[in-house]
Amino acid sequence: MATERTEIERPEIDQALNRRYDAGFVTDIETESFAPGLSEDVVRALSAKKDEPEWMTDWRLKAYRHWLTMTPPEWAKLDIGPIDFQAISYFAAPKARPKSLADVDPKLLETYDKLGVPLHERARLAGVAVDAVFDSVSVGTTFRKELADAGVIFCSMSEAIREHPELVQKYLGTVVPIGDNYFAALNSAVFSDGSFVFIPAGVRCPMELSTYFRINAMNTGQFERTLIVAEERSHVSYLEGCTAPQRDENQLHAAVVELVALDDAQIKYSTVQNWYPGDENGVGGIYNFVTKRGDCRGAHSKISWTQVETGSAITWKYPSCVLRGDDSTGEFYSVALTHHRQQADTGTKMIHIGRNTKSKIIAKGISAGRGQNTYRGQVKVEKTAEGARNYTQCDSLLIGKKCGAHTFPYIEVKNPGAIVEHEATTSKISDDQLFYCRSRGLGEEDAVSMIVDGFCKQVFKELPMEFAVEAKKLLEVSLEGAVG
Amino acid sequence: MSAPLLDALRETFDALPASRLAAGGLGAARRAQFDAALADGLPGARAERWRYTPLRALERRRFGRADALPDIDPASVPAANLPRLVFVNGVYAPALSRVDGLPDGVALYPLSQLLETGDARDAEFLARRFPARDETFARLNAALALDGLVVRVAAGVRVATPLALVMLGAPAGGDVAVHLRHLVELGDGAELTLVEYQAAAAPQAHLVNSLVQAHLRTGARLSHVRVQREDAGASVFARTDAALASEAHYARVDLELGAALSRHELNIALQGRGARAASNGVLLADGKRHVDTRLAIDHAAPDTRCDLVWRGLAADRGRGVFHGGILIRAGADGAAAHLSNKNLLLSPHAEIDTQPVLEIHADEVQASHGATVGQLDERALFYLRSRGVPEGEARALLTAAFCAVVLEAIADADLRASLDAELSARLPQVAA
Amino acid sequence: MLKIENLHVSVAGKPILKGLSLTVNAGEVHAIMGPNGAGKSTLGNVLAGRDGYEVTDGTVEYLGRNLLELEPEARAAEGVFLAFQYPVEIPGVNNTYFLKAALNAQRKHRGEPELDAMQFLKLVREKLRVLHISDELLHRAVNEGFSGGEKKRNEIFQMALLEPRLAVLDETDSGLDIDALKMVAEGVNHMRSAERAFVVVTHYQRLLDYIVPDYVHVLADGRIVESGDKNLALKLEEHGYAWLRDRQLPQARA
Repeated sequence: MATERTEIERPEIDQALNRRYDAGFVTDIETESFAPGLSEDVVRALSAKKDEPEWMTDWRLKAYRHWLTMTPPEWAKLDIGPIDFQAISYFAAPKARPKSLADVDPKLLETYDKLGVPLHERARLAGVAVDAVFDSVSVGTTFRKELADAGVIFCSMSEAIREHPELVQKYLGTVVPIGDNYFAALNSAVFSDGSFVFIPAGVRCPMELSTYFRINAMNTGQFERTLIVAEERSHVSYLEGCTAPQRDENQLHAAVVELVALDDAQIKYSTVQNWYPGDENGVGGIYNFVTKRGDCRGAHSKISWTQVETGSAITWKYPSCVLRGDDSTGEFYSVALTHHRQQADTGTKMIHIGRNTKSKIIAKGISAGRGQNTYRGQVKVEKTAEGARNYTQCDSLLIGKKCGAHTFPYIEVKNPGAIVEHEATTSKISDDQLFYCRSRGLGEEDAVSMIVDGFCKQVFKELPMEFAVEAKKLLEVSLEGAVG
Repeated sequence: MSAPLLDALRETFDALPASRLAAGGLGAARRAQFDAALADGLPGARAERWRYTPLRALERRRFGRADALPDIDPASVPAANLPRLVFVNGVYAPALSRVDGLPDGVALYPLSQLLETGDARDAEFLARRFPARDETFARLNAALALDGLVVRVAAGVRVATPLALVMLGAPAGGDVAVHLRHLVELGDGAELTLVEYQAAAAPQAHLVNSLVQAHLRTGARLSHVRVQREDAGASVFARTDAALASEAHYARVDLELGAALSRHELNIALQGRGARAASNGVLLADGKRHVDTRLAIDHAAPDTRCDLVWRGLAADRGRGVFHGGILIRAGADGAAAHLSNKNLLLSPHAEIDTQPVLEIHADEVQASHGATVGQLDERALFYLRSRGVPEGEARALLTAAFCAVVLEAIADADLRASLDAELSARLPQVAA
Repeated sequence: MLKIENLHVSVAGKPILKGLSLTVNAGEVHAIMGPNGAGKSTLGNVLAGRDGYEVTDGTVEYLGRNLLELEPEARAAEGVFLAFQYPVEIPGVNNTYFLKAALNAQRKHRGEPELDAMQFLKLVREKLRVLHISDELLHRAVNEGFSGGEKKRNEIFQMALLEPRLAVLDETDSGLDIDALKMVAEGVNHMRSAERAFVVVTHYQRLLDYIVPDYVHVLADGRIVESGDKNLALKLEEHGYAWLRDRQLPQARA
């Protein structure tokens, strides 16, 4: 009964693959965009386009000048050609600029319907406020009134710069400084839009907040900037989703996300990243180079990152926590899946500065096809972090002979009262488990999805319910054709 | 631009008689490796493989070369009862060495002898080039090493008695740089135990650059123990490159107990089916010592296996650095690789940096690693004290227990006892 | 129902089964006994369709079809069930969810309507009650952290729920205490019917005190060397397998 498993893909799986990226459509809408190219003039024009105050323009220019002095990172484990930053357009937006959601072009509303994120009043997701970012701009934010009643500010970053300059100035760039890294500097110079969240002291945000990022236009880069500030004793759960059309060219997505948690505040940030991954030969797809960092500035604060990364041709992101406040907590739960020729280099940094700070890292990597999946993480315990605790668990699952799974933790401990534990395993999907499932009647693909879902359970259970379901589905479609 | 360290080595290189450099037909190879080392300089902070071991202070120092053999009390030389080759400040010391009574099929001699009178083909291993820019010390070794231990064991020969390699540092009127190159070659099915000592006859602040090449043919077994207890002033750069053919076994135990700065790179290439490596070690960074051990296990063939068990201790102002790299190449199906690295951080000014790494390109594998940094178990400590064991003793006891697993793999009871004694002598100083 | 003829099976090039023949009719319970290494577990794995078991000769006919050409999941859907000797743990996969997916996959294969969550739960409760198993098993991941006994109970529970036509129990009694053994036997006896057949593979006679077989076969060195009724098991118990080896040798050499 020795059945040889081969790499040959069956026709029905090819078909499945061809329709597997459901979000790959293009919205035909009149778009206004800048010609490709980057210069000080482009930065000024972008700032002017958004009616920004002078301080913001200056901030951007400072970042741009700094960026010019920097060199692109040397990719440790990524196979990537040079990026031509002059070939990218730094602004694209639907021409019609609605005053409110009621005025939004029906084509846009339709787009979000198709993506499963209805914006219009009747069909809105219950209990989730959505900010929809389309190319370089936010097209609308739902549940504004309900949130305002609670004192919560949830709006686009452009609006925040105009309406809440004091808050933006106080926090922007304080977690990720403009010169932090090459792509963060670029983002600081040319960021287009993104979400701004402010939860005042003592407020528990009455609903989930969510931003849905959509790249639509050709040859544009998306450089969103998100800032979430949770004041003392406040609490917020924020979700982010991303998709893009199926195109043969690579597109750049270089976001910066900053989180600030003051005393006793909690921020939970969840991402389901489903940017277009490119086709099975590695043509096209998004370059997803993201800087995400949370600052547990206050005592007893907590920041928790959960991510499910199934999309993008190349992912490079390390959502991190700076545990400054005493007794603060950082968490990172991650599922990263690479199939075909996708490459992911992702992980986290937990920087323990305050006393009795705690961090937990659960990272699950799945590699299939020729996918390359790297976990890269740093746990750093500074001298001051008496009583710091970290637990890290990193597991990799291999599906197929040509993929790779890599684990690169950096553990640096300077406090003798700290306890740091790291464990990692790598193995292929177990033949015994597959056979067990099949002998109970499950088909091979179903058995694989079930085992993979079980493998990811620790992470999925951290996601809000609707996202957990979506994440599970995404994994299933992303894995189609991985066994055959 | 150029660093004093390299300037001084250039003077050494230039002053060496051309005939010595050219012996064995190695003149051009030595020159090429030396030029490469000088051109690329010492690895800086941006070199990933050196990120935790800065060389700025070392770079500013100058080291000369030792010619003469100082007087050494033979009783103070380790491995008294074993056949041994002894090098003092990098110079072969025949009076301290003992090479008689070796079984047939075992050739043991100093490299200098090979270069002076031997067959040039036997010295070919010295012509090896080191391509990477950060392999400065290996390149310098290739250029400057004029002595070392050569041992060749013929196919099928099992050597019962361990052989010893002793590298002693002794005062030499100034700080000297020592370059030694060693070769261990085991034929098909051959077996050998090699005990390597890096020790100090008296306080000094030399630089030791030692490189072992080990070749294990099919089914060969090498048990290799290394005790590094150099003087607290010395800087040690040691590297081992082992290549294993099918079914070969390399069992390795390292005790990193001395030196001011010690960097050890252990590279094991599992090239044949069923080849197997076991590397255990204790890494002890107390005082102001900086101890950096870097493992790179390369699974290049099916059914290869490695088991790595390392324990680290950092106290006072010491810094312990560990990197456990495991690479499983495409096609190395059936590979199994396991690493355990546990560390005790015992003082507020000490530091542990550890990086267990898995890089995997095959799917029929079982790979895992675990790393921890923590303290002695307070409950165990309390338990012992509640039974009347004084705190200091209890700490020493638990520290010894923490390290005990490292020596378990050593089959030779005498050898295990002697290593246990080495550890027992050092651990209480750390635990206190 | 099941007709095995002259079955030869190799594992990693090594012959394990060397001409095994066995016929099982609906309604029968067959016990297969034999010393360690006789090929008992190989038989179960071959019937269930595990990879790595190479059939070099012979045939296996099940309900008039060639069983060997079916994928494992198709065999399950056709009513073949293997209770594993060492059930594997599947972390993170909920036991109930797993069983529902398996049952519905089988039903779908047979053209029967799938059960919804309510119907399925009702069925589960019914089976649990009959088997005296606590529903705590259901909330855990498949076999994860189960004791040896719990794993075997879980296998029997799965069998009860999936209602196979041919159940192969691979040393389900090994490592069980007497209470667990009785529970397993009860589960099997409860399911005995004119339409269903059992192949009970065991090393010890003990289990057969509780599951009384219609036939007992002795498997040694890859083939059936002796067949009889339940008394054969008692004889074996008395004399040990060594007695058998003496009887088998002349035959093996023939």
